[in-house]
Amino acid sequence: MNFLDLFNLTLPSATDIESTVTSDNDIFASVSPRDVLLFFVGIIAAYIIGLAISHHLRVRMSHRLKKDQLDILTGVIRVALILVAIGISLPGLLDLSVTIIIVAFVAVIAIIGLSSQKVISNMVAGLALLYESPFATGDFISTDGVSGTVVSVRLFSVRIRTTDGIYVHIPNDQIYSTTVSNNQANVAVRFVYSVGIRYQDDVKRAQEIIGKILEDYTFVLKNPAPAVFVSDITSDSIVLTIRVWFPSNWKLTRDDVSLSTAILPRIKDSLEAAGIEMPYAQRVVWFANQPRDTISGPAKKQDPHQAE
Amino acid sequence: MGLSYADADISIRLTDTENLIKYERDCAGSKESRHLGRTFSAIHINPVEPVNLPEALTHFLEISFPPLLLSPGAEQDIYLKFPVEIGVFLESGNNRDLLDIFSLVPAKFSLYGSPSSGVITRWYKSDLSTEIPITDPLREGVMSLHVKNSGTETTTVSRAVFDSSSMCLFYGSRVAMTATMEILSPLIAHTTFSDTAPADCPNRAIDLYLARGFSITNRKGYFMEAGTI
Repeated sequence: MNFLDLFNLTLPSATDIESTVTSDNDIFASVSPRDVLLFFVGIIAAYIIGLAISHHLRVRMSHRLKKDQLDILTGVIRVALILVAIGISLPGLLDLSVTIIIVAFVAVIAIIGLSSQKVISNMVAGLALLYESPFATGDFISTDGVSGTVVSVRLFSVRIRTTDGIYVHIPNDQIYSTTVSNNQANVAVRFVYSVGIRYQDDVKRAQEIIGKILEDYTFVLKNPAPAVFVSDITSDSIVLTIRVWFPSNWKLTRDDVSLSTAILPRIKDSLEAAGIEMPYAQRVVWFANQPRDTISGPAKKQDPHQAE
Repeated sequence: MGLSYADADISIRLTDTENLIKYERDCAGSKESRHLGRTFSAIHINPVEPVNLPEALTHFLEISFPPLLLSPGAEQDIYLKFPVEIGVFLESGNNRDLLDIFSLVPAKFSLYGSPSSGVITRWYKSDLSTEIPITDPLREGVMSLHVKNSGTETTTVSRAVFDSSSMCLFYGSRVAMTATMEILSPLIAHTTFSDTAPADCPNRAIDLYLARGFSITNRKGYFMEAGTI
């Protein structure tokens, strides 16, 4: 028994096979210059329509969407239009059925998807960032150890300029899957500072001095009012915590270092001018076998072993 | 060409140099100096919307004043003071370009509303009076504010927030604005400006927004939705 009979298969004759192969190789045979022209006219028309829609969206939506969002949205629309134009005109050009084009398109997408999962995931994350818009160009953000101003939000990546002037390129899927702090998402942002004063200094006087500095400082918001309070009594100092709100679009609000250099030196100078000093770390040391009359001040009172 | 103005706090001088004009300004120690081309035909100095200094962080002006209690349906005309910022404009053809802004009044910012949905305001504390107060026009202007309680509850008002893009400033013997505040509920009020010049302030100041090339689309005022206290 022939093995072909065994599997009950039928094959076309060798001639048929040859003719099939020939016709498959002949997909370009019927392409005329007119078809090629129509194909490229279709692509160019899609490109021009995409530009017109982009322009229309920019005019109409610029007050509702941020620039980055508009860029991504118009980019997606233009690419989609060109893909649609290719999808419509290619079957006519190559004399292929729509089914074959769809199968080929799916196959290509599958190959691209498998070979470049990272790219696809970045693009999907880019669309998610577009939808959720946790930040925009110009915002100062902190993410995954990087802090800086967002320079651009693109379909595949976010570019950040750090305070050191270094450009950092972060893939969208990385930024989407990590914690992002946006200093400028709200119109006001609070900063907290701590100042230590000596035990013998007048706490209320120090609070008044700091309060006056904050009151006079233009960018410290009147409301919510700044707060100065004793937050800790350590072995060396009385710690005053200062809570202040600033406009988040003020340039110094971008990083705490700039703000500290604007606020803390004034506080230090004013406190020192009023005789209130920042204490050095210090310890009072006494020895158990030290003669009692050589111990002076508070240490003498606190010595339980010397009492008789 | 030569022009100069000087008093105890402000000095402005335009002097001819070889092919340029030198603009020098000193306002309480804050100095500005620039060389100008000879392309402008006139220079205008007038008060501008007080929301530009030291940085243009906001376009809202908030005036805080002693509490005023209004029963439903009540209307009251009051006068408030607001800070004055002075703008210097160069005119060339039909254009009026901003050259400089300065002020003798220190600025203070505040937050109206919550950090997530509120707005940053240029904050100013004012007395409340029922007669036009005497002011130094280089430092303070006078706002005539008509307050009307259209709500159904007695409401206390101690602050008003205005959108500077709809401000209409006038000057003459003083710097003036006329505004209306309609209280809709204890939490919501609507503030608008009038473009009618007071009798003693016939000159309309140049709109800063127009000088900067922006078209003003919002003349509808501002809805205060975070309370009036």
